[in-house]
Amino acid sequence: MIVIGGGVIGASVAYYLSKKKIGVLLLERSDFASGTSGACDGMIFMQSKKPGLHLALALKSRRIFEDLPEKLGSDIELRRNGGMIIFRSDLELKAMAPFMEEQKRGNLGVSLLDLHQARELEPCLGPNIAAATFCPLDAQVNPLCLTYAFLKAAKRHGAKLFARTPVTGFHVKGNRIYAVVTPQNVVATRSVVNAAGVFASQVGDLLSLTIPVAPRRGQLLVTEVLPPILTRCLLSARYIAAKYDPALAEGQNPGFSIEQTGNGNFLLGSTREFVGFDKRTTRDAIRTILMEVTPILPRLKEAHLIRTFAGLRPYTPDGLPILGKVSTPEGFIMAAGHEGDGIALSPITGQLIAELIADGKTSISLEPFSLERFIPKEPS
Amino acid sequence: MIRKTCDVVIVGSGFAGLSAADILAERGLRVLLLDENLHLGGQLLRSPPWSGKRSSAGGIMGYGFRLIGRIKSQPIEVLNRTNVLDIDERGMLLVEREERMISVASKMLLLATGARERFMPFKGWTLPGVISTGAAQILMKSYGVLPSKRMLIAGIGPLLLAVAGEFLKNGGRLLSVLDMGGAREKFLLLTRGIQQFSKVTEGIVESAQVFLARVPYHLRTMVVEARGGPGLSAVVAAKIGKDGSLLKGTEMIYRTDSLALGHGFVPNIELAQLAGCAIDHDGGKGGWVVRVGEDLQTSEDRVFAAGEITGIGGALKSMDEGRLAAFGILNKLGREVDPKRLIHLKRQRNRHLRFGILFNNLHRMPDQAFLSIPGEVTICRCEDVKMADVTRAVKDGYDTPAALKRALRIGMGNCQGRICAPLVYDILSALKKTTAKEFPPFSVRSPVKPVAIRSFLS
Amino acid sequence: MTQDLRIPSISRGPKIKVFVNGQGLVAYHGETVLAALIAAGRRVLRKSRIDGENRGPLCGMGVCYECLVSVNGSPNRRACMTDVEDHMEIGIDDSEDM
Repeated sequence: MIVIGGGVIGASVAYYLSKKKIGVLLLERSDFASGTSGACDGMIFMQSKKPGLHLALALKSRRIFEDLPEKLGSDIELRRNGGMIIFRSDLELKAMAPFMEEQKRGNLGVSLLDLHQARELEPCLGPNIAAATFCPLDAQVNPLCLTYAFLKAAKRHGAKLFARTPVTGFHVKGNRIYAVVTPQNVVATRSVVNAAGVFASQVGDLLSLTIPVAPRRGQLLVTEVLPPILTRCLLSARYIAAKYDPALAEGQNPGFSIEQTGNGNFLLGSTREFVGFDKRTTRDAIRTILMEVTPILPRLKEAHLIRTFAGLRPYTPDGLPILGKVSTPEGFIMAAGHEGDGIALSPITGQLIAELIADGKTSISLEPFSLERFIPKEPS
Repeated sequence: MIRKTCDVVIVGSGFAGLSAADILAERGLRVLLLDENLHLGGQLLRSPPWSGKRSSAGGIMGYGFRLIGRIKSQPIEVLNRTNVLDIDERGMLLVEREERMISVASKMLLLATGARERFMPFKGWTLPGVISTGAAQILMKSYGVLPSKRMLIAGIGPLLLAVAGEFLKNGGRLLSVLDMGGAREKFLLLTRGIQQFSKVTEGIVESAQVFLARVPYHLRTMVVEARGGPGLSAVVAAKIGKDGSLLKGTEMIYRTDSLALGHGFVPNIELAQLAGCAIDHDGGKGGWVVRVGEDLQTSEDRVFAAGEITGIGGALKSMDEGRLAAFGILNKLGREVDPKRLIHLKRQRNRHLRFGILFNNLHRMPDQAFLSIPGEVTICRCEDVKMADVTRAVKDGYDTPAALKRALRIGMGNCQGRICAPLVYDILSALKKTTAKEFPPFSVRSPVKPVAIRSFLS
Repeated sequence: MTQDLRIPSISRGPKIKVFVNGQGLVAYHGETVLAALIAAGRRVLRKSRIDGENRGPLCGMGVCYECLVSVNGSPNRRACMTDVEDHMEIGIDDSEDM
């Protein structure tokens, strides 16, 4: 088995495969966790997932997180404190009402809080929010620690990991992949998992396969370390709305995300921009994000910004990842396109892909996640 | 947001920035001079805010102080206490000053951001009371405060003697100067540096002061451990061999609450990196430096660089580079420049550069010195990352600066790796038995230095 | 703690008073917070974040962020880059319990 990509998804796939005693070779074009997994926040948000398939997948993944630190044998800075969605106005609350109704049916245990109740939970919240919802299942993790923990555990189970080893081509005979080409080697293999994240479509190009994954930039700001003042992650209602409606994202205010990491820094986000592979941060975005988050958390006005960075998230047109076998060529398996959910969905993705390869069937049907869903259907 | 426009923005008001500003303003250009410090003059031209500038001082320092006086009388806009946060692709600067943002547009940009100190860490170097030679110098020269009544000075490079001289002059009791360098280096500098007359004489004057005060001066000696709690109370030093390894049985103990420490300089290239300027690694120039042509232009069309950021070389080099950069800028703006003066300046600058390279090469720390840092020694002071963490991570395959940063949080703290980055590059290249050239340095993003969030909101 | 490391021969600006953890301290207009603290022999300024080690100034020129103190209640200010002002309240962590 060859896994392409040393981010959180590739690392998880390698871990679950090697746990099933399948020999894994993981090839990373640059350094491990040097792409999206090294430039994102660590939120494991349930409330932000679209009720239905997406949420079901996320909930399954969330359950795996429960004992993941023990299983991986590493501290991944998992914190199960729940998360809050912040509504700035009654209008936002109204707009999100149908979404929340559906969530209720998904048994997520979301409770609606007024300003007073919200501030009881998080005393650092500012006075000018309309309402908030709280979900105890939301959690956070250190994405770098998580990726490295998967890699370390995979290595323990016999996986071989290679950094700075890009895949430059495939050998295909008939309809089947039988080897992967790197600058140093040609490696024979039965199947290949494309976990290349934002580079998934470039890997697809090597096989003339159209994979609709595009880089979507998210800028993040880091503050200096502050004493622990926020125990839950915060997301704005508009940020969720923007995910499912790109028209909202390109506007002035894409919403915000706020997280205090285990280390004590605040991670403030984010943007959703299509600018190719440009990882620069912009003045306008920095200012916009700060204008958004400071009324929510007034204490931040006293803090210093120490760093900014941008991550490229692997966007797909319908907001769902692409998972499972492609119809052609045989032996090519997709595990990419998680956009901002890669951290949250990494355990379930690894597990499902490992089931698919080892057992030939999966505990959740991967059909809705297939690459083929993007191929326009011929009218029959 | 305040908006400013001018012909040339100069970042840094040390010898390079001042020399350039002087020429450019004289030729009628609108110059904006930015500096992070509270006063003009960079790290060398320091005097207490209460007294007049030491324009009566001799040599290059006197010249520098007179230059500050001239700058003040010229129609140059000077902004101290500014924090340049960002340079965008159009060359626009984003500057924070007293928690307000200023956006600066200019035809040309000159980066003269100078250098910071480099340190060779040892057990206990994080104890309060261990300060840099630069800090000692600033306390004494800018504020008239002794770091302590009794002090020990250790490290390598020219600042050791300068600090010793200043400390003795002001009545401090200097226990000893511990120099990692040997007699051979001193001799070579003396003979080959004869053209660099003023530099060598400065060195001689300072050494003389130390010897006249009968302060023990130990060559090939380094600090092994600092002890104390909560502050420094004792320092253990020992002799080292030519390869940098410790010689057993040569330990000496000094009782002191103050140790001034310095191991040379590192160019401050971060703003240039942000501006997209190409950089090169050259150990003889002090590590990663900004690549410049003869006219001091960087790889970027409208960005020039002068002074320590193109290679550690001292005040004379900085001064000539500031002048050359000014002429380069004038030329670029279609103004006339005296070719004879240019030829002379270029020749002079090359001489300073060569001396700098000779000097830096003679004062480089051997790989062995980095490899023998004990595991418990702190490398990244902001995030408390130890040497053992670094060696373990490198063994685990996190063997680039970027990978180490992600794996260990090294360089992710408030100083953004300013103190540990040069160390990390040297340790990495020693461990991997290659040159630091092989490792791209930490990436730089706005804000280049921490900034109050409030400043973005006004 | 009554020592004064100021060089006597240097004439200074107007004398002012600052407070360090509530305790009065003489300073002179034109000094930085760091200069005033060092002059009084105060060098332990804070604890390192992870290991809680004692820390004080290192670079003295705004680079290392080791001399962070609170100034008038605002945390994480570089003592070496901040001018003293009359009645300024400076907060340091020189507690000995670790």
